[in-house]
Amino acid sequence: MPDEPIPQAHDGEEELPPPRIERNRHAPIVRVTHWVAVVAILVMAGSGLRIFNAYPAFHRRGETFCCYPFEGRAIPDWLTFGGWLGGARHWHFAMMWVLVANGFVYLAYVYLRGEWRDLVPRRGDIRDVVQMVRFYLFIRREHPLQGKYNALQKGAYFAMPWIAVLIVLSGIAIWKPVELAPLTTLFGGYVWARYWHFIGMVALLGLAAGHVFMVFAVDPYVLPSMITGRYNERFAPERRNGRPFYHLLPRWAPRPAVADAPEAHVSAPTPASPTEP
Amino acid sequence: MPPAGVAGSGDASAIGRRRFLLAAGGGAGAALLAACGSYGPKSAQRILMYAERKNEVVERALFRHRSMDVAGRHALDAGNAFPAYFIAPSVPVWDPTANGPWMLEVSGMVARPMRLSLADLQRMPSVTQRINHYCVEGWQAIASWTGVRLRDLAAVVGVDPAARYADFQSFDDGYHESWDIESAMHPQTLVAYGMDGAFLGAAHGGPARIHSPIKLGYKNTKYLTRIEFMPVRNGGYWSDQGYEWYGGI
Repeated sequence: MPDEPIPQAHDGEEELPPPRIERNRHAPIVRVTHWVAVVAILVMAGSGLRIFNAYPAFHRRGETFCCYPFEGRAIPDWLTFGGWLGGARHWHFAMMWVLVANGFVYLAYVYLRGEWRDLVPRRGDIRDVVQMVRFYLFIRREHPLQGKYNALQKGAYFAMPWIAVLIVLSGIAIWKPVELAPLTTLFGGYVWARYWHFIGMVALLGLAAGHVFMVFAVDPYVLPSMITGRYNERFAPERRNGRPFYHLLPRWAPRPAVADAPEAHVSAPTPASPTEP
Repeated sequence: MPPAGVAGSGDASAIGRRRFLLAAGGGAGAALLAACGSYGPKSAQRILMYAERKNEVVERALFRHRSMDVAGRHALDAGNAFPAYFIAPSVPVWDPTANGPWMLEVSGMVARPMRLSLADLQRMPSVTQRINHYCVEGWQAIASWTGVRLRDLAAVVGVDPAARYADFQSFDDGYHESWDIESAMHPQTLVAYGMDGAFLGAAHGGPARIHSPIKLGYKNTKYLTRIEFMPVRNGGYWSDQGYEWYGGI
């Protein structure tokens, strides 16, 4: 046994390179815009729900609405923010600029630095999604090889900006249904624009909730990387074969191949062939 | 799968830092919640007021007299479902025995101040428009409104070009709202005395009210008694209680 290489999560055709300690897994701009987005989205959703509660329905007066099962039922107060309709509107119409400006900074950075390549789906991603789902369902044994993000993450992170675009445009449509009437018409009128605004919020919060769940259930080791930028690849789910609440503890991470070199940084090339002392 | 033999304690220092960061994050979150309440932190109010002023600049830049509201052809009229509201304890009804006949006073920065009876208003060129009413609460209601374009009335009284605002006052417990002159002169801004083919009833602001699709419902003063053209804005019943003063659509 001592002469054999440490078994990796992946047997077969491809092998993972030795784990590195990344100092800057997420660039400072990405980290800042991530947390600004968290605050902005929570305030927007909370104040939006408070505004919604002033008329928790979609139907035009004298009509009915087909597609919302809770017509007329208020959202619980503890999910809302802003205290009262006027206050929530002030929060909503102030924070919208933060949300949009923050989104532009993030998208510009991701575009200019080429990091969109980690996020934009490409051919074969459908197959990878299937493999990830099979892995999470214990049908497949080994964690599929991935890049920075697995195929499910890529799908979620790629969808979020598009949902945000839907939310922002439908929001403008119900803010200015007369001055920007063509936009409101594009969404099917005021009633439907209001509905898409709501549905977009539900979809975005749903993805965000899934994201937070997966961070804590699969890869809590990634949390500091969105704060300090530091990430130890040794704890990556693909090395632990991590599924939700499965192989979660650090003891499932393979021991570093290079002994007595705890600070093997990205810049310092690590020996290609691990040797035991 | 990693063999059981490699199970170690992991990077102890990293775990410590992680714990610290989690604790710090949790502490900051708790402090934030405590500071907020559901109204949000008090110190944010100045920023929110600043944002409201800046939003007004954006909204006024977007404003066009050519932008018109049209109710959808297939959308239904609200009819009896059109909400009625007033701030007085009971429906405000003009009492001619106590107050004399109802008159609309047009005054302020005008060349010819006037007092117009309902008959005077009816003699002026009228328009009927089937449009949406947009409430600040988020609902929308369709009705056909009949009345005089405020811009036509302004031409009759000769509004001073230096007037920047108009204040719309009522006999509903002092309810009033002031507008920017551009919105007041929008072709869809009416002094409305008819609704859905009948004279405007007491529930919806009769004998006459301001009605326009380009302002939120609360800006459209009902139970109108006086239109005053002004050099400065004059707040309003709901605006003074913290709703946006501009309230444009």
